[in-house]
Amino acid sequence: MKKDIRNIARASGSDTMHATTWGLLATAALIGGILVGSRGLRYFDPALVSYAGATLFAAFGLGYRFSMWLRRPPTRLYWFRGWEIFLQPHRFFGNLAHLFEIVWSNIVLQRFIGRRSRMRWTAHWFLAWGCLMAAAITFPLSFGWLHFETLRSSQQIYRAFLFGIPIVQFPVHSIVAELMFNALDIAAVMVLIGVFAALWRRGRDHGAMAVQQFADDLMPLILLFAISITGLFLTASTHLMQGLHYTFLSQLHAITVIITLLYLPFGKFFHIFQRPAQLGVDFYKRAGVEGEQAVCIRCGSMYGSRMHMDDLKRVQAALNINYQLANDTHYQDVCPPCRRKNLALIQDNMWKSTASES
Amino acid sequence: MKNAEFFIDYSRCIGCEACVQACGECDTHRGVSMIHLETIARRESVQTAPQICMHCEDPICAQVCPADAIKKTPDGVVQSSLKPRCIGCSNCVMSCPFGVPKYQIDIDQMMKCDMCYDRSSVGKKPMCATVCPSGALTYTTMQDIQRTRRGIPINEWKFGGEVVHTKVYVMVPPEVERVDINLVQIANTDAALPRDPYDVALMLENA
Amino acid sequence: MAKLPTDISDLVKQFGPSLHRVPPGGWADTREDDKLVKTHCCFCGQQCGIQLRVQNNKVVGFEPWEDWPFNRGKLCPKGIKRYMQDEHPDRLKSPLARVEGKGFEPIGWDAALDRVVSEIKRIQERYGKDSFAFLTGASLTNEKAYLMGKFARVALQTANIDYNGRLCMVSSATASKKVFGIDRSGNPWSDIVAADVILVAGANISECAPITTDYIWRARDRGAKLIVTDPRMTPIARNADLYIPVRPGGDIGVFNGMLHVMIKRGWIDREYIAQHTTGFEEVARAVEKYTPEFAAKIAGVPSEMIIRAAELFGPAKTSFVLHAKGIEHHSKGVENCIAVMSLVLASGRLGREGCGYAMITGQGNGQGAREQGGKCDQLPGNRDISNPEHRKYIAGVWGVPEESLPQKGLSAIPLVEAIHEGRIKGLISICFNPVVSLPDANFTREAFDKLEFYTNIDFFLSETSRYADIVLAGSLMEEDEGTTTNTEGRVIRHRKVVSPPEGAWEDWKIICEIARRLGHGDKFNYSGPREIFDELRVASKGGVSDYFGMTWDKIEKNNGICWPCPTLDHPGTPRLYEGGKFGHPDGKAHFIPVEWRPSAEMPDAEYPIILTTGRVVAHFLSGTQTRRIGALMDQAPEPFCELHPVLAEKLGIIDDDYVKVESRRGSVVVHARVVKTIRPDTVFIPYHWPLDRSANNLTIRALDPQSLIPEYKVCAVRVFKTDAPDDAIASLEVQAGGIR
Repeated sequence: MKKDIRNIARASGSDTMHATTWGLLATAALIGGILVGSRGLRYFDPALVSYAGATLFAAFGLGYRFSMWLRRPPTRLYWFRGWEIFLQPHRFFGNLAHLFEIVWSNIVLQRFIGRRSRMRWTAHWFLAWGCLMAAAITFPLSFGWLHFETLRSSQQIYRAFLFGIPIVQFPVHSIVAELMFNALDIAAVMVLIGVFAALWRRGRDHGAMAVQQFADDLMPLILLFAISITGLFLTASTHLMQGLHYTFLSQLHAITVIITLLYLPFGKFFHIFQRPAQLGVDFYKRAGVEGEQAVCIRCGSMYGSRMHMDDLKRVQAALNINYQLANDTHYQDVCPPCRRKNLALIQDNMWKSTASES
Repeated sequence: MKNAEFFIDYSRCIGCEACVQACGECDTHRGVSMIHLETIARRESVQTAPQICMHCEDPICAQVCPADAIKKTPDGVVQSSLKPRCIGCSNCVMSCPFGVPKYQIDIDQMMKCDMCYDRSSVGKKPMCATVCPSGALTYTTMQDIQRTRRGIPINEWKFGGEVVHTKVYVMVPPEVERVDINLVQIANTDAALPRDPYDVALMLENA
Repeated sequence: MAKLPTDISDLVKQFGPSLHRVPPGGWADTREDDKLVKTHCCFCGQQCGIQLRVQNNKVVGFEPWEDWPFNRGKLCPKGIKRYMQDEHPDRLKSPLARVEGKGFEPIGWDAALDRVVSEIKRIQERYGKDSFAFLTGASLTNEKAYLMGKFARVALQTANIDYNGRLCMVSSATASKKVFGIDRSGNPWSDIVAADVILVAGANISECAPITTDYIWRARDRGAKLIVTDPRMTPIARNADLYIPVRPGGDIGVFNGMLHVMIKRGWIDREYIAQHTTGFEEVARAVEKYTPEFAAKIAGVPSEMIIRAAELFGPAKTSFVLHAKGIEHHSKGVENCIAVMSLVLASGRLGREGCGYAMITGQGNGQGAREQGGKCDQLPGNRDISNPEHRKYIAGVWGVPEESLPQKGLSAIPLVEAIHEGRIKGLISICFNPVVSLPDANFTREAFDKLEFYTNIDFFLSETSRYADIVLAGSLMEEDEGTTTNTEGRVIRHRKVVSPPEGAWEDWKIICEIARRLGHGDKFNYSGPREIFDELRVASKGGVSDYFGMTWDKIEKNNGICWPCPTLDHPGTPRLYEGGKFGHPDGKAHFIPVEWRPSAEMPDAEYPIILTTGRVVAHFLSGTQTRRIGALMDQAPEPFCELHPVLAEKLGIIDDDYVKVESRRGSVVVHARVVKTIRPDTVFIPYHWPLDRSANNLTIRALDPQSLIPEYKVCAVRVFKTDAPDDAIASLEVQAGGIR
């Protein structure tokens, strides 16, 4: 390890500079995307400009925060190690298959949440897929990437354009059309199911009630509730109330969405971006199991991967944590049970020493 | 209990596991016990010791967490991992100087002692310290411990070059200022003590 | 017809023991309790306060009870997980009838009780009243214990009633009566804290009375010294000021040797002795020869330890002696207790703050159950069944002619021997699992095979219930209410937490109903336990353990009341012997000289090793309840044989080997646990498991002549390495007696 001149856990340069640069890059990339995707703003809907603007701010925030986060030594180490291991030629195809597997089980089905509690899974799955579905529609719409036109030949046929290219067409009164135009309502209902499930859990679960905090745990639910309910009001206003208060409602809806977009990089929603970035840990752990194992210097048992212990020493060095012991031994090379036993022995011996004196 | 602190005295532990059983009864853990109870070396002695989270002032577990999943409350309690964030990497498990966090393989997450936050945040004692019959785990006021115990509570530790301050205190004989772990003890290395202090056969040798 | 109706594995499949791990509704559920009921743990005589969480008449969880003064919320694992015996899948919810070749089938209460009553009548008419015996238990409430005693004497009219406290407290009870004139711990536990030196004699406090650890440490924090005598270095012995690894059965060596040194060095209170005691000179003469060297040979320890013990104990200002089964489970158990009591008396340190002694009660109501009449020689109020005055008084309370009261009957072991000999033909039992808990288990099992009729009241099908013709589904502690008397002699209140499940009855109802069908309904016409308690108060009035001045409300209001409490305005008596006043008619304490003698079976060439038995912290007695609780089984899944590396090496055994331990009476196969914390001439096996894992297959049916307690703590065995057993019993789950 001493030969390791450059500690990959340690980032160089100014954190703020780097983060600002990445934030600006993300914003610029999104602007570029909007320009290109909307065919030079030809399909850009000016009515949605406030949404696009808020998204640009969110992009800056996310880029900034993401970069800041990746500059923390443990994150940085896993990020690089994760890619390193993922791209290793002899593992690559296996890794790809495994990636598909964990994306399916962790992101699509979110099985790992179900193992914690069924109620939590219900809440999260509906929230997650409701939001993702809504995002998949609204972002392309507000960026001008997606738009709909009726056919010139027939008012009864709709055609959908992605990046200005026609991709699909369908009759106005078909099921597909109904689904397509009510997709946001479906998403809103899913989100509401999730919100109520989450609130029900949080309102009854003694453990959750003890540790939850308003800003972290309840605020996001309130925001999602506000977006969904104002969105549904819009539909109701259009179809059931002949457009009653439509303008007011649409402004209200826009405000809730914009607040959420601005909140995106800072609060609980940031985990949406963090989690996929950390799929790499899974590959790291797999590589660790296959590689050399660390052996505790006190009890001689295996307690993790050698790579993990060595990397932790790098992370600790980058964080200025100094676990070097006397006799050229290192506390990281002692397994957790032995750390506990050792502490107890040392404290017990203090008492025995005083007892033998008296 | 107002202004209560947590005090640990490993040497008093009788290994009854009341703490282990009670821990799982707390609403924040529900059937999963977060406390460790170590049998030090059963062949050599009956010594056992509990280990709860010491709630470091600057928790190393949180520093090494790649996911920002470990947070401290304003009252200084280091919480269990935040479920939306924890990615089960075990950095905290392997870095904690006290060996506290537990990786729960079934949920792919770290869980650890949170001082029964549902109880201690409303002035109740944590489960383990409520039930502990030996005084190895005690939750009371500083005044009370100073009045009733023969040792003194300290909260400074040194692991190699790393000085750690904890919210939880450890009871030590007077004049000890810090628990210094500079050399890992395989057995008792203190020269003043008998080599095999708990061997009944040695005690009987001149019978 | 009391043979097992079918294979053990079939019975286990149907009735357990199986493990209960998750409260009703599950861990993940969000529990809103209907109520939180303050009551007490049933697992040991300390009777710690606990609270049970209740939802829809189901116990769903536990909460510490910090305001209860005895344990202040502190508990051992049994107290925490005991609620898992509620809502248990093995719970009996209807009477069962034995079906040959099949096991047991549920039957209605009417049919079951008819059968029981007709068998009692048949056997008693054919073989005489005493041919139908009654075995009761020390984990029952005072009300139930009182009822059992009355039932045996009034309804069954049999002399042969005894209780499982015979396996527990009788040595100290007998010794205490002889020396101090009263059978009770002399002091409340709070006096431990004020002692300057504490002698723990044969008590594995950290595992069998864990809460007492807290009292001892509070004293040590004040600077108190701790002396522990035990063949095994127990957790509190590990850092005691002096640990004496006494040879099992060598305790008198330590006590007489200490007294010898104390007399020689003038560390006795001559004034106290002169004023408040008799017989000291004989004791002084008896211990004259117990020089440290002589005493050390008996005790099997270096003489310096005995001198050091005397140096610590002798000159102290205040002192407290705690003893338990380690010195009591011997064929000289009473003498062992007398010897340690002599130390207390000679020091003059008793009957005041920080000065005294206590015997640690093992069973839930060990103290109360024997006071109320579950013992073959006692009537309520600690009265003597052979004393005409006492008989007359109780006969008056019960409204029966004095002549109708049976005389003293057989104690537990002779009672089982009488079954084996065919002198007793029928048996009813409650709260007792003799095939696991009695010594020489093979003999016990043979005896049960010979019963013509056996009926048992239980909430689970215990190992003994398997021999029954009719099993009557009774109630758990928390399904009924009443009082118990804890190890301090403090009478405390057990509240009803939930009602028994449909199909099971409160124990007192079952007994009263049998009595009614036997034609004694008028004497057993109670509306509930409160009425039984009121009768008990009257029955105990004027006795040694006088409860007359207590009511349930007064007990609750005062967090328990210590007897004697003769009048309604009496506050109770937490500390006995204040001012040097003792229970004997002469008001003095009686010194009694004791000499050491060998145990009934000493090691020899054929069986060269001493076996001693005891408990582990996770289990209670025969394990009927605790072997059904998953969390406790995880903590202690199997018995084991502790042996010293020196002995292990001689026998070619390494840690975790399968070992066969064999005595003249039977054998067990368990895992070896090689530890330096036990004497090299002794092995230890805990006794909570049944069948081929039962330490009592090995123990000897030798009794103390005075207390009739069996010698669980010493017998001769041999130990050798063996292969993993693969028979049908071995492959059962560990809670049923299997081995992994």
